[in-house]
Amino acid sequence: MATYIVTSDRLAGFKRGDEIQASDIDGNIEHLLEAGHISPQASKKSAKTKDTDTAKE
Amino acid sequence: MATTVYLSNPALTINSVDLTDQATSATLTFAYDQLETTAFGQTARSYGASSVTSLQNNTFEVELYQSYAASETEASIYSLVGIQTTITISPTAAGLATPSTTAPKYTLTGAYLSSHTPISASLGELSTVTLTFTGGTLTKAVA
Repeated sequence: MATYIVTSDRLAGFKRGDEIQASDIDGNIEHLLEAGHISPQASKKSAKTKDTDTAKE
Repeated sequence: MATTVYLSNPALTINSVDLTDQATSATLTFAYDQLETTAFGQTARSYGASSVTSLQNNTFEVELYQSYAASETEASIYSLVGIQTTITISPTAAGLATPSTTAPKYTLTGAYLSSHTPISASLGELSTVTLTFTGGTLTKAVA
């Protein structure tokens, strides 16, 4: 499920910077995005491990 | 002695956006269509029945100060024209978060905004917009 960051001080029940999901609010997500009250949470790339062990026998 | 709550400082949200500090008046009207059920033999008009048989016909009218700043009135309202949205209102700010019998929370779900006046300006006056939402289902929460 998509996560959003609250970007205004007017979203009822939340503070600026809170992370929310669509199910957390009654409002229409598209219009809250358009009005600037929330913005999509950028997806974080999972940290990949890279084997740097180059030891040779 | 009976007391009456004077609704002078309600809190409200439109599409989950708290616009209380921009609002100067709010009127929520809870109504059902009045269906006549008078039949032959009766001596007076009658409407409805012992249980609800008609449709809710609610309206919500609110007056807001206009503001074109980010996340304010215009940004929050403009995109709601022509669609349904949810409105919540309570006699007090606390009632929105924690409804009680003395501060009930009313939720109008599926209210339709047919028009908006983005420009409503008069010389020397603060600009305001009056919005009328129609339709939707009203519920009342007291806990």
